[in-house]
Amino acid sequence: MHADETVLRLENVQKSFGGLVVLANIDLAIDRGELVGLIGPNGAGKSTLFNVITAIYAPSRGKVWFRDSDITGAQPHRICRLGIARTFQLVRVFPTMTAHENVLVGAVYGSGGRVANASQAATEALDLVGLSARRDVRTAHLTLSDRRLLEIARAVASRPALLLLDEPMAGLNATEIKQMVDVIRRTRNDMGIAILWVEHKVDAIMKVCSRVVVLDHGEKIADGTPHEVATNRKVIEAYLGEPSS
Amino acid sequence: MSSKAGALIAAALVLALALLPFVPGAIDHYYFSLLFFVFIYAIMAQGWNLVAGYAGQISLGQHAFFALGAYTTAILWTGNYLWGSLYETHPRIYYFDPVTMVLSGLVAAVAAALIGLPLLSKLRGDYFALGTLGFGEIVRVLLINGGDFTGGAFGLVAPSGTFDTLLPHYWTGLGLTVALAIGIHLLIKSRYGLALIAVRDDEMAASSNGVNVLRTKVLAFAGGAFIAGICGSLYTYYIFHVGPDSVLNLDWMLLPLMMTVVGGTGTVLGPIIGAFVMYVIFDFARIWVPDYHPIIAGLAIILAMLFLPNGLSRLKLGILKPYSR
Repeated sequence: MHADETVLRLENVQKSFGGLVVLANIDLAIDRGELVGLIGPNGAGKSTLFNVITAIYAPSRGKVWFRDSDITGAQPHRICRLGIARTFQLVRVFPTMTAHENVLVGAVYGSGGRVANASQAATEALDLVGLSARRDVRTAHLTLSDRRLLEIARAVASRPALLLLDEPMAGLNATEIKQMVDVIRRTRNDMGIAILWVEHKVDAIMKVCSRVVVLDHGEKIADGTPHEVATNRKVIEAYLGEPSS
Repeated sequence: MSSKAGALIAAALVLALALLPFVPGAIDHYYFSLLFFVFIYAIMAQGWNLVAGYAGQISLGQHAFFALGAYTTAILWTGNYLWGSLYETHPRIYYFDPVTMVLSGLVAAVAAALIGLPLLSKLRGDYFALGTLGFGEIVRVLLINGGDFTGGAFGLVAPSGTFDTLLPHYWTGLGLTVALAIGIHLLIKSRYGLALIAVRDDEMAASSNGVNVLRTKVLAFAGGAFIAGICGSLYTYYIFHVGPDSVLNLDWMLLPLMMTVVGGTGTVLGPIIGAFVMYVIFDFARIWVPDYHPIIAGLAIILAMLFLPNGLSRLKLGILKPYSR
């Protein structure tokens, strides 16, 4: 990949809370349209990394680049308008709005002018995740699976260049996981959006992603193809464990 | 009942209220002034509702913005420092002057924006509420120590000789109540309304989806203050004496707050219904059981909270449903 195709670049990013180092010297680049899995044990710093990228936390050290812009310390709404959208580990939809209104927020405010017709963009995003039939349902009445899909639709409606997915499969059953995998694939393939995907369902990550990054205790311990990562000794010891015979 | 039928009924009700003064003897009846006060409280409640019900920021400083509006009108009207003898020679020139009323709202809105920026960027929830309460106390001290400009602890007296009928007060109150209800209904359906609800529901999700949270909150806070300021101006044209005890009374914050909660927070009709029901209960209790009226009023609020926690306007009535958010 050429440098001009890199959408996100982290340079030596560190995040500490008091004396606790949660992220240590992370270097990472995501290219346009790439689907990258981010795995690691609980407390490895995966969600913190998302919060640093989306400026909910300012990094203690290092730089965050989006395309050619230094976005370190920018305000979260500006990050979104530039083209980085995200979902949350604990679903954060707007409970008093309908599904369509939720997605409309992303299309109207998150797109930074990239969307000409917000209502149409919202409808298309709901179509993508299969929620068109529930567009007028108040979000508080949706199932967990639907709310997770709705978060993705809302993020996609802002037409981002990069989508950060924070455990979109947490709490879902096998059928719902299959549906989620399909949605993530289509988001990348049909929309051309680069995805950085945090997940504990390692099987899904290994099957869908072309590249996997592993964090442990705030450090990047592996970055490669699913096969390279699955056979990496450090990763096996820290997270995956020995395969059962 | 369809929303169209509901709108028609509301329009008929407004028309009936607007034409009420033409009923012989209506203007001199006690209920006429009662309705004027219902409008005053409905306007105040709508202002608080915009900040707390729609933007999710509990403001305990609405009385300060009411007072700023009232004082602005009194200062512009009496014009001690501004245009000297004009007030004495033409006392009616600023009576129900729309420019004066809008300026009164603007002064309150600018004060809200100035105080809102630091408060809303740093404080949330209870802390923000206490910050706004503190702002009210700052305004009180400034007004008391404002010398001749604010009239000190006594306040300012406007030319009460201009008063000859309650009609302009009544119609202005009714007009503002209706205009605010329509305006806020349209606002909530607009792009800005989408941002307001998003911020109220989840600030982090709103900002991560491109909503400028601070700007949205400050605009709502200033908008609520503008409404309170205009209401203060209208009240000045009724009371003719603005002082810290009359227009900076905590009742101007607490009663609209209770009325909104009883009527339905975050609904367009809730503040109006709440103002009507609560003011009628308060006033009748004051007349019929003067020694116990605070108890009656308190009981009414407790019962409303126990049995109508979402407010009267969220009752399953078809007529109210389209306006219940």
